[in-house]
Amino acid sequence: MELTLKSETGFDLLALSGEVDMHFSPKLREKILGTLKDGKPLLIDMAQVSYIDSSGIASLVEGFQTAKSSKLPYGLLNISTTALQVLTLTRLDKIFNLYSSAEQFKAQVTTHAGAIQ
Amino acid sequence: MTATQRLLAYQFPACAEQMGSVRLKLREALKHCGGSEAVLNNVVLAVGEACMNIIQHAYGPNDKGDIVLEVDLVPGDEPTTSNQCHLVFRLTDFAKHKSCAGEMRSRPLDEIRPGGLGCHIINQVMDEVVLLDSPGSSGNVLQMRKHLGRN
Repeated sequence: MELTLKSETGFDLLALSGEVDMHFSPKLREKILGTLKDGKPLLIDMAQVSYIDSSGIASLVEGFQTAKSSKLPYGLLNISTTALQVLTLTRLDKIFNLYSSAEQFKAQVTTHAGAIQ
Repeated sequence: MTATQRLLAYQFPACAEQMGSVRLKLREALKHCGGSEAVLNNVVLAVGEACMNIIQHAYGPNDKGDIVLEVDLVPGDEPTTSNQCHLVFRLTDFAKHKSCAGEMRSRPLDEIRPGGLGCHIINQVMDEVVLLDSPGSSGNVLQMRKHLGRN
């Protein structure tokens, strides 16, 4: 698994690639929670995820809950077919906000920022 | 196909670092079994989840040992096409902790919380999941069955 964090205007973009299993998910969890601590919305790019198991999904769920309690926008971008299959199996595809472009998320971030002002 | 075919028998140390190579071995063994890509992705995921349960709950942090993964391709009643066959996965561990059938139950999915999805995945993917009696006084044998014609 590889993690690349980029700071975009108004949000952080975390790109995940490779296999996310119980060996690597603690690292993913740490990265997601550490990034959300900075108080910026987080978008996770999952286009290059070739495998994800329940431990990886658990890290995403923990991020979702942390973002929700901090009132921060949080979403998954370009989710790969394999990862979507796992989200569907666990019925979490309806819980996460899924985006097909970073612009869509950015628009969501702008609306959210406007609403809390 | 008229007789049961052994596709894989693989013994490995029960630890997280091993799981990548276990998945590779399993994918290689299932390459010509006749299942669709979606079915194969799901069974690889479910076997991974079952291994993870063994590592985290049967062995836990204080016990160490191996897992034996056996995979058989079993012909159906009318053995004309490969998708009437089914796959049987058997995972044997040698942990001191004996699992009970209740430990394979899924949790309700309407609770949005991080853990406990593994058993749900296994039960969703596989057509049958049973804990068999292990031959010795310790250890567990988990058997899972998947019909190749079903998603």
